[in-house]
Amino acid sequence: MTLTSFVVKNALRNRRRAALTIISVAISCGLLVTLLTLQRELTIPPESEAASLRIIARNKVSLAQPLPAKQLSTIEKIPGVVAVSPFTFFGGNFREETVTSFAQFAVDPVRFRNLIIEGRIAEGSYDDFINDRTSCFVGADTMKRYGLKIGDRMRFTGTFYPVDLDLKIIAVYQGTVDDRGVFFHHKLLDELMGNPGTVGTWYLRVASAEASNEVIARVNEAFANTSAEVRAETERAFQMGFISMLGNVKLLIGSVSSVVVFTLLLVTVSTMSMAVRERFRELAVLKALGFRRRELFSFILAESFGLALLGGSIGIFGAWALWTGIDLQKLTNGFLLYFEVTPRIMATGGVVAVFLGIVSAISPSIAVARLSVVQGLKTLD
Amino acid sequence: MAAEPIVVIRELTKSYLQGDLNVTALNGVSLDILPGEFVVLMGPSGSGKSTLLHIIAGIDRPTSGSAMIQGINIANLNESQLADWRNQNVGFVFQSFNLIPVLTAAENVELPLLLTDLSSAERRKQVATALDLVGLADRGHHRPDQMSGGQQQRVAIARALVTDPALIVADEPTGNLDAKSAGDVLAILQSLSRDAGKTVIMVTHDPKSAAYGSRSLHLEKGEITA
Ligand SMILES: Nc1ncnc2c1ncn2[C@@H]1O[C@H](COP(=O)(O)OP(=O)(O)O)[C@@H](O)[C@H]1O
Ligand SMILES: [Mg+2]
Repeated sequence: MTLTSFVVKNALRNRRRAALTIISVAISCGLLVTLLTLQRELTIPPESEAASLRIIARNKVSLAQPLPAKQLSTIEKIPGVVAVSPFTFFGGNFREETVTSFAQFAVDPVRFRNLIIEGRIAEGSYDDFINDRTSCFVGADTMKRYGLKIGDRMRFTGTFYPVDLDLKIIAVYQGTVDDRGVFFHHKLLDELMGNPGTVGTWYLRVASAEASNEVIARVNEAFANTSAEVRAETERAFQMGFISMLGNVKLLIGSVSSVVVFTLLLVTVSTMSMAVRERFRELAVLKALGFRRRELFSFILAESFGLALLGGSIGIFGAWALWTGIDLQKLTNGFLLYFEVTPRIMATGGVVAVFLGIVSAISPSIAVARLSVVQGLKTLD
Repeated sequence: MAAEPIVVIRELTKSYLQGDLNVTALNGVSLDILPGEFVVLMGPSGSGKSTLLHIIAGIDRPTSGSAMIQGINIANLNESQLADWRNQNVGFVFQSFNLIPVLTAAENVELPLLLTDLSSAERRKQVATALDLVGLADRGHHRPDQMSGGQQQRVAIARALVTDPALIVADEPTGNLDAKSAGDVLAILQSLSRDAGKTVIMVTHDPKSAAYGSRSLHLEKGEITA
């Protein structure tokens, strides 16, 4: 027998309790990691300043209803609008795919240039994109995913639109929040569709984030009581489908995470207190045999650490495996883009587990330090 | 040298504050014990037998007076020195065995050796020797709940002697045992003092048990009367 196997035997002496503790730590740590991942997902856009500088205006009736192309001249004149481009979701299926696995947008390349704030041109030139009406401007992630290179052709089968696209990759961008999209000439779509004189949405850039609410109000107002009323919202709000709730959701997630950690703390602290209290007499005997406080502390710490870390690891890596294995983007129809369990989030979960291990060892350690052998021997089993 | 006492106790007192009341458990006890003696402490309940034993064994401290064991005044040792001292010099046998339930007999016996520098092979050898001495060589892998009370107490004795301490203290070791098992345990303690030269101090209030000792002491209200 070694000191380690002694600790393990002690920790597992009440197997059901050890298992329950490990399971509750695992579930709570997994939940915490999930919540932190969700919080990160929801806070990606505000962290990207560019997204709060951009507004999407769509038909008030529904996203599927187009807007008249002639609204452009009105929007351009609205104070605070720095740039505007048509922005039409094509929603085609790439090659033989049966789902739309990344978005394609028809834009006005000249106008769209002013809407690009973050990211950079990784390959090719944007000017070439402007000059070639059958070319497309592709995100680096999509290039990589399909092993594409400049000059390759991308064919899309229309799903919303009864037309197909055949585009030539001319330039690649990288470093935006979402490096997957494909952009092509709106004129091409107009031609294919027989110039219906409509756009899907308008994509606007405002001078400053503070101005965005005002501009949103002005845009909405400009088309009030027309045949095509619009609803404008910031890019990210548009993506997430809600606006004002965002702050509350963050707060909510923060509070739920704190409650999870706190509850977890209660579980581990009470488990360790129970585990040590029922062993008081034995600990007194160990003291009599010559074990010092230091050794008894390390037994307790090792036990609580072991339980917390084992449970924590199962929960953290379980959550990681779960969210990495599931295609959440598909499941949530693009609501959750990445849902990436980052090393940082996993480390946070790990820190919480370590913290639990230490904190739940504190009070039993104090009790054991105070325990006199003679008093301990008098405790009844 | 052989006549030099191993335990020298002078004017030992121990008092407890019970509420407002000052209870005197030991009242000026002086005592010499020679190496290899089997001293039996007798006396009515509450007379201070356990308290005296605890102080000699270094798990309790006197209020005044001195306890020199092998020339060391153990009152001068700090907590961790005292722990080391106990590990090397004292073997404990309690009334209620106090074995660790999740460990086998051999593992229980091995416990005090985990604090030493012995290799695991050396530890195994000493454990086997100790279990053999108490007649449980073949029970090493049994857990306490698979053994009778007498066997458990013999495991406890093996644990007490595995570090080869000079002093073995036993507080009513037969209190929870039937007559036959008690006889076995007492015979082992007797042979430890007689054949192995250990100094054994045992508390009991059973006169028949006392017959196994080489000397009996009577305590009454914290004082030695005979
Ligand atoms: N921790 C304690 N607090 C208060 N009084 C104690 C404590 N331990 C022992 N005593 C008192 O000291 C006296 C002697 O106790 P003890 O040595 O256990 O007696 P014995 O072992 O002879 O029955 C008793 O009166 C007992 O009540
Ligand atoms: Mg007693």
